Amino acid sequence: MHISEGVLSAPVLASGAALAAAGTAVGLKKLDYDKIANVGMLSAAFFVAALIHVPLGPASVHLIFNGLVGTLLGWTAFPAILVALILQAMLFQFGGITTLGVNTIIMALPAVLGYYLFGRLIAIWPGKSMLAGFICGFGAVLLSALLLGLTLVLTGESFSIIAKLVVLANVPVMIIEGIVTAFCIGFLKKVRPEMLPFSTTFSPDNST
Amino acid sequence: MKWIPRKSVLPFLLAGLLTTGLLAKPEAALAHKVSLFAWVENDTVHTISKFSGGKKVVKGRLVVFGPTGTKLLEGVTDDQGEFAFKVPQKTDLRLELIAGTGHKGHWQVPLEEITGGLEINTAAAAGPTRQVPVATDRSDNITADRLEAAIEKVLDRKLKPVMKMLAEAKQPGPSLTEILGGIGYIIGLVGIAAYFKSRQKK
Repeated sequence: MHISEGVLSAPVLASGAALAAAGTAVGLKKLDYDKIANVGMLSAAFFVAALIHVPLGPASVHLIFNGLVGTLLGWTAFPAILVALILQAMLFQFGGITTLGVNTIIMALPAVLGYYLFGRLIAIWPGKSMLAGFICGFGAVLLSALLLGLTLVLTGESFSIIAKLVVLANVPVMIIEGIVTAFCIGFLKKVRPEMLPFSTTFSPDNST
Repeated sequence: MKWIPRKSVLPFLLAGLLTTGLLAKPEAALAHKVSLFAWVENDTVHTISKFSGGKKVVKGRLVVFGPTGTKLLEGVTDDQGEFAFKVPQKTDLRLELIAGTGHKGHWQVPLEEITGGLEINTAAAAGPTRQVPVATDRSDNITADRLEAAIEKVLDRKLKPVMKMLAEAKQPGPSLTEILGGIGYIIGLVGIAAYFKSRQKK
């Protein structure tokens, strides 16, 4: 889901970069000492996830894990994903330097949205945290695919065709990430519930 | 340092992911990068396009540009990710592959490669574009030009598999060094962030 250099128009690239900078600033502001290790680990997870390719469906797709990153990190997903994307662009030539802002928005914005929209479900449905986790993973990839479609449309491609292509190509990824996120959330719920979003037990000061 | 025990679960998750990532290498490592490889054979330019990792770009749009950026022609890649076209003009060519959903790759065909290919053709046809003394005695002597053309033709045929192999080799996936290097960077950044945040804390 990395957009290559030279695909998008300059205004789209510029607004992507501006939004990504704003998101990263918010993320860094919210990044406190206790969260740094978390952010780093999930950034590394996101960095390698793109190497795992899903050999299903018509196009070339790979895992993204922005749902899991967003659910566990909230706004700090922005710096985590930005760092991972910079490294992917430099080391793997995925995406590109000029498209960094747009790619960050495409993957990090759904992560943060997922945190607020679906992350709450984990707190509301205590008995169904796995289902909530599935929705987090599935929904974040779906939102990313739609955002990717939107940026391409803003550059002049027809939305119905693009949206269909991107969303269809990523359906296997949505399902796999839904399942993986469900298991991660289910596991964390049992062993480290304070790591989950909107957890009432979470408090950096008195947790052990 | 009381935050360490609370996060002790994540390293396991991460370790699992990392191993999967490394095990998935290198054949299955595939992600969003498209590459294009082109070579000239006689008066035809052959191209192979694929996503990094090996999946062929089927039905990708391939556009050929001249040196000034004018569009010369365009075509669609077949099931094998291949597309071939006749050299439209004797200049540098820039090929651009639009693989859809934001993927793009390019390749330059330099002028020397094109003229190299065309000379064979013109020599064989004794075309007007080249001032070759056309063999006056056609009875039994094989002229140097015709011999050269024949050799070039055979070489082209023999080299075709080699060119394809080169095309494959030109598109390696990310190596272990790069993956570990990236993770190292992230660990370093975590260290830097922790250092500055811990100073703020005091």
